[in-house]
Amino acid sequence: MYSLLGGIFLGWSLGANDASNVIGTAVSSRMIKFWTAAILASIFIILGALISGQAGIETLKGLTSFNLSQAVISSIAAAITVTIMTLFGLPVSTSQSVVGAIIGISIINHQLNFGGLGKVLICWFTTPVGSAVITVIIYKCFAFFYNHLKIGLFGLDRLLKFGLIISGSYGAYVLGANNVANVTAVFVGAGKLNVFAAALIGGVSIAFGVLTFSRPVMETVGKKLVKLDPFSALMVSISLGVTLHIYTVIGVPVSSSQAVVGGVLGIGLVKGVSTVSMQTLKNIFFAWFLTPVVACIIAILITFGSYLEYMGPN
Amino acid sequence: MFNFLFKKENRVEELLYSYIENFNLIQEHFDKAILSYMGEGQYEEFDFLKSRTHKFESKADDIIDEINNLMYGKVLIPDSRQDIMFLLHSIDKIPGTMENILFSIKYQQIEIPSDIILQLKDLIRISMESCRTLSKQIKKFIENKKGIRSLLNIIDKNESHCDYIEKNLIKHIFNSEIDPFLILQLKELIINIGNISDQADIVSKQVNILSIKRRV
Repeated sequence: MYSLLGGIFLGWSLGANDASNVIGTAVSSRMIKFWTAAILASIFIILGALISGQAGIETLKGLTSFNLSQAVISSIAAAITVTIMTLFGLPVSTSQSVVGAIIGISIINHQLNFGGLGKVLICWFTTPVGSAVITVIIYKCFAFFYNHLKIGLFGLDRLLKFGLIISGSYGAYVLGANNVANVTAVFVGAGKLNVFAAALIGGVSIAFGVLTFSRPVMETVGKKLVKLDPFSALMVSISLGVTLHIYTVIGVPVSSSQAVVGGVLGIGLVKGVSTVSMQTLKNIFFAWFLTPVVACIIAILITFGSYLEYMGPN
Repeated sequence: MFNFLFKKENRVEELLYSYIENFNLIQEHFDKAILSYMGEGQYEEFDFLKSRTHKFESKADDIIDEINNLMYGKVLIPDSRQDIMFLLHSIDKIPGTMENILFSIKYQQIEIPSDIILQLKDLIRISMESCRTLSKQIKKFIENKKGIRSLLNIIDKNESHCDYIEKNLIKHIFNSEIDPFLILQLKELIINIGNISDQADIVSKQVNILSIKRRV
């Protein structure tokens, strides 16, 4: 049981950090109360992990074959990377941290699955771009219908509120489905857990992070993000859900933070305005390369450290 | 179907319509009051209509206060909240101006010269028409209906017309032989009446901008 603590800690930090991507807009703009959003998100994260989380678990599990101590090391290395990157204020991706740590251990094991890794890398590069494209398409289609709706100001208000609740729940569902693999897939690879148990423990630990520590993160992220009008916020939320859903079907865990930034960029493209500052973009690209590299190095260092033995004075 | 989930929102909507209804009553009573003053010494009727106007103006304030309180309770999404409050505070300047006009007529006992009455009536008639058009425009905004722009054009045209009458009247009274003190009183009265169509024009343009802003 203690060997799972690294994964549970990682799941908790993932829930605390990434909840702001799916429900942050609605909560920080006070469209929905925090507890309503957090409870809904937690339920849907667990459902997503249980119902649709298997594909991602299979992909990460297939990247290499670990023993239990290596699985624990990869979880700890990923969690340390997330913490370091957060301390430096860089937009961290738990998926990249986990994959980076897995690569580190696979290098030591000399058994890296290059086919699986290539698939993961392609998905990383296409996440923000894909999300931006999806946002543009969704925005154009929905805007056409929205502008022709024959309902009043109050009806539209209700529609947007309902839309945000539904898209937030959908986002939470796919976040659970897509990211549960980051939390517990290595334990499936090590033979410690079966896929269902991994999905359940991963889902619950992410939900625990949402319920206990997502509020302060959400408030900080909400202030940093560009202020979108309610319709654009809804479009970004739907686009995030669709993007994560596509990658869930492919079976690759991707970063919800990068998908959100891609979505906000997409809104900028539609409206012809700059929605994300150059500094934010630089930070994202910098973190893109740095996160897996740091996680990989930390995993290698911890693995070497675990081989050290105390020799004594003689 | 989901109305039970939106009790506060429904209440705000109800209050908003009730504000518009009340706004129409204020301008109706103001119109009657000022016309009765300019008529043949119907001062009792003027007093009655003035007190009614004041009553409806107070009611308008109460409605705004209740909407404000509901808004603090996080009713509606922030953008809608902001738009509605901005609009209400902007419209509410019109009843305030109307009440001030009646107040100054009553306590300054202004004697309106007969040679400007016709033009003054015209100024009031067009201003009231602007107010009625503004009510329609706001209803269209709430109901998300087309035609906001064309109503803005009517109000804008009325405002130009009122400006023209206002300047003519002021020029006329300054060229007349009436008592200089009365000239200043009349000038203030004319400018205040002119302010009604000016404010209606400002609000109408704001409604138009808000409706454009809401399109995606």
